[in-house]
Amino acid sequence: MTTTIDVLGLREIFEQRRILMCFNGPFSASLIEEIGLALRHHLENVAASPSAVMDVFSVYIEMTQNIRHYVRENGLPDELTRATVVISQREDGHYLVSAGNKLLPADGERLLQRVRELASMDKAALKAAYKEQMRQPRDPAATTGAGLGLIDMARRSSEPLAASLQVLPDAMAFFSLEVVI
Amino acid sequence: MTFFAYNQPASRPQTSTAAADLQREGISMQDLNIIATTSSPAIATDWNEGRVILAGDSYPENAFELFQPLLDWVSAYLAQAGQPLRLELSLLYLNTSSIRIMMDLFDQLEVAHQAGKSVRLQWFYDARNERVADLAEEFREDCTFPFDIIAEERA
Repeated sequence: MTTTIDVLGLREIFEQRRILMCFNGPFSASLIEEIGLALRHHLENVAASPSAVMDVFSVYIEMTQNIRHYVRENGLPDELTRATVVISQREDGHYLVSAGNKLLPADGERLLQRVRELASMDKAALKAAYKEQMRQPRDPAATTGAGLGLIDMARRSSEPLAASLQVLPDAMAFFSLEVVI
Repeated sequence: MTFFAYNQPASRPQTSTAAADLQREGISMQDLNIIATTSSPAIATDWNEGRVILAGDSYPENAFELFQPLLDWVSAYLAQAGQPLRLELSLLYLNTSSIRIMMDLFDQLEVAHQAGKSVRLQWFYDARNERVADLAEEFREDCTFPFDIIAEERA
């Protein structure tokens, strides 16, 4: 008699990678809030500094809300709000916020290009880009942070943003983004 | 003082239209008293006292929808009230959508200040949370009206 799911195997991956929290599935607005609250409380309990708690929480919110905005603004099927989010802690104490979702390959390429641009900027250049983006006229029809999310993540990251794009068998692509706090 | 309360309505309430009507009639606008939720701050206005209070976290998916009644109220107040306006913010975490709206709000104050009106902003934060101070400080860089960032020692 064996279990269908290799729980021990999963646990070992979680332990090895020091994963604090992981979610895979469709993100609704309320689920983003629920998981966010759990994440915040957990980080507060492990006595992370208030700044680290806020940075991890903030990057998590921007990542997940970006995914929902992408699906909604492009009129894509709800299925694409399915995302994988992993919060972990490196050996050196830094937190990693990683997320991945399916998107149209052309959108993935554009996003990857944008991440590369941001990754090459220093803090001063990122701040300038942020202020410039803030001053873009806001489109009354748009509901997002007007392109600020990615720059905000880059500013909170202690290392350049890292991303990858993989082609999937169904002609979609999978975009992964990682921020180091 | 009259109140109405709602939580993140699915569609925008009629405040904008009502505001325009009231503006034409020269009557002060109805005060806002919006209750905080997990992801949206408490929003309260007091026309007679010339005061706006925002308190809590702000990370709704659509901040424009949430804050439009406040932008309308501030706009009407600055146009008609003829007395000082004070904003008291105890905001903690803001997502970028909310940050973008705050800029619009502060721009309104800046325009009023440039026109010689008395406006003042106080942003209170927990002294241990420097991220809030950083955010407020960055807003202040673009403002010339009185803008105080006040650290509070909390237990």
